[in-house]
Amino acid sequence: MTRVEIRGLKKSFGAVEALRGVNLEVESGALVALLGPTGAGKTTLLKCIAGVEEPDAGDILFDGQSVLRTPAWRRDVAMFFQTYALYPHMSVYDNIAYPLRERKWSRQDIDRSVKAVAEKLRIAHLLDRKDPSTLSGGEMQRVALARTLVRNPKVFLLDEPISNLDAKLREEMRTEFKRLHRELKQTIIYATPDFLEAFAVAEKVAVIKDGVILQYDTPMNLLRRPKNRFVATFIGSPTINIMRGVIRRVAHGWEFSTTGLKIQLSNIGASSKLLDGSEVELAVRPQDIVLEASKNGNAFKAKILAAERLGYETIVTLSLGEVELKAVTKGMRSYKYGDEVTINIPGDRVILFDVSSGEAMY
Amino acid sequence: MANHRNNRRGRHKVVKTVLIYLFTIIAVIFFIFPIYWLVATSLKTRAQAFSTPPLFVWEPTFRNFIDIFLKRQTEIEAITGQELELATGAETFFYNSFVVTFSSIIIATVIGVFAAYSFSRYKPAGTNTLMFFILSTRMLPAIVVAIPIYFFYRSLGLYNTYIGLILLYTMFNLPFAVWMMKSFFDEVPRDIEQAALVDGSNPVKVFYKIALPQVLVGLGATIGFLIINVWNEFLFALLLTERATRTVPVMIAGTRGEVGINWGLIAAIETLYILPALVLIFVLQRFLLRGMTFGTVRGAK
Repeated sequence: MTRVEIRGLKKSFGAVEALRGVNLEVESGALVALLGPTGAGKTTLLKCIAGVEEPDAGDILFDGQSVLRTPAWRRDVAMFFQTYALYPHMSVYDNIAYPLRERKWSRQDIDRSVKAVAEKLRIAHLLDRKDPSTLSGGEMQRVALARTLVRNPKVFLLDEPISNLDAKLREEMRTEFKRLHRELKQTIIYATPDFLEAFAVAEKVAVIKDGVILQYDTPMNLLRRPKNRFVATFIGSPTINIMRGVIRRVAHGWEFSTTGLKIQLSNIGASSKLLDGSEVELAVRPQDIVLEASKNGNAFKAKILAAERLGYETIVTLSLGEVELKAVTKGMRSYKYGDEVTINIPGDRVILFDVSSGEAMY
Repeated sequence: MANHRNNRRGRHKVVKTVLIYLFTIIAVIFFIFPIYWLVATSLKTRAQAFSTPPLFVWEPTFRNFIDIFLKRQTEIEAITGQELELATGAETFFYNSFVVTFSSIIIATVIGVFAAYSFSRYKPAGTNTLMFFILSTRMLPAIVVAIPIYFFYRSLGLYNTYIGLILLYTMFNLPFAVWMMKSFFDEVPRDIEQAALVDGSNPVKVFYKIALPQVLVGLGATIGFLIINVWNEFLFALLLTERATRTVPVMIAGTRGEVGINWGLIAAIETLYILPALVLIFVLQRFLLRGMTFGTVRGAK
């Protein structure tokens, strides 16, 4: 078990700044997800931790000790590469055995470990395959995963380990990772562009974009209290609804108004530093919009534009005058284009963002 | 109806296949014929070689092949009474060609592979300039540098030595070795090497356990190319050698018979001389056909 600390890490490739001062603390034995879009710097960060890329500035510490001077081959880290990086000239067995052979394990120990991990990842039948390039994408991914998991390093770095599997296997693997983490009790950093995957496997998620960590928090906080507009829109599906308007102080609290819409905000404290009459963006999750009349003040008449029926839930696109919103409702509901419904926007579930900076205002 | 259409399509396919084979056979004959003629001439007597119309059926003789190695120069000089440079005792020249080719190839390949890998992986400052500089040594026509090198070698005592030729050919081949091998190393995905680093291999091990096996096909092609370069080189070998270090191409050019040019004899030497090259090409062809396996990497590069 190793505690990983990253301090002010910077890395540029020519004119491209891949990491612009990353700070991150991963508790010993924790499973942390690194969540961000393509090109956010996830892979570069993992490669810096693994030691195959050298950061320009900053420090990486394992249990309080800087490892920058420890070369990759002595850093005792296992990494799953997004590109699999299988050794094309070696059999599946030799690929998985490679890290153990490099550590001079005995033949029996290697054989036992390779077979055990292959069993676990259900690739035991592939061990004799000579040429890894003849494997299917999912098989390659599991072989690469086996090569990563076959030993017991200080830290596991997984770069999009299940993104190329089909939906069914991906679901299984998510559970598998949770189980694995429980059994190994190892520090794992898990990079993924899929927030559902991040939420499913990790206790804490670091949202990274343009080489900076925007928010490092629990899934619940990321969902409910995003620090800025990007985090709010990147997390959640369908994407959070955002409306631009003006806030005003009214008799009991604050009110948001945009063309033909006035929403009472009940979650803004008296201590808030909001400016009366300032322009803001209001965000509300599609799951929070209620498609029923209720006694709450924020009820509106809306027209159905489209309904996507997904089985257990239905995604509804609504029109409120000039504003278009998406809402999610339970069950298979059959709405038709043009249907009129009453919706409710709960005033305690909205998030306000500063228009210019995109920062959340609580 | 459907049957009829199938038939027509089937016939169309047969015609296409026949045409492709016909074309291939013609092309092969076109390229093979000179080699056939060379071998055929080597198996003819002098009279047969000059016969018009050319002989296509004759009783082959191995006299020429025997003559190459067995006739002693002194004997012939004694008979003819004049000093002749003859294709006798050819084993010396073949030996010279082998020594020069293999030594220079080994040196050029080893240096070239290491240089190429360094340029490809570590990109030292000024890589592009250096790579251009390396290539620029081959930009002058050989004949332009021939005379300076001749005087240079004379004054350094490298004239008519193995080491002189080997150094020169190594220098000739290095740019090709570096450029070719660099392009092969460039195609090895970095992630594979990085994975090996993380898996516990130091950079030296990564080089020979991971990178080198990936470029074996390219290495084979490069070596083949370099060997042909040196094996066939004539100009510098002519200028910088005398009998002791003379290579086969120079010897062929200097070969005459007792009376006039003995084409049968020359053909016999050439036949023996192209034999290693043919074997080499055959071996490397199987090597090259195996193709490159970069399929283990997700997505296109």
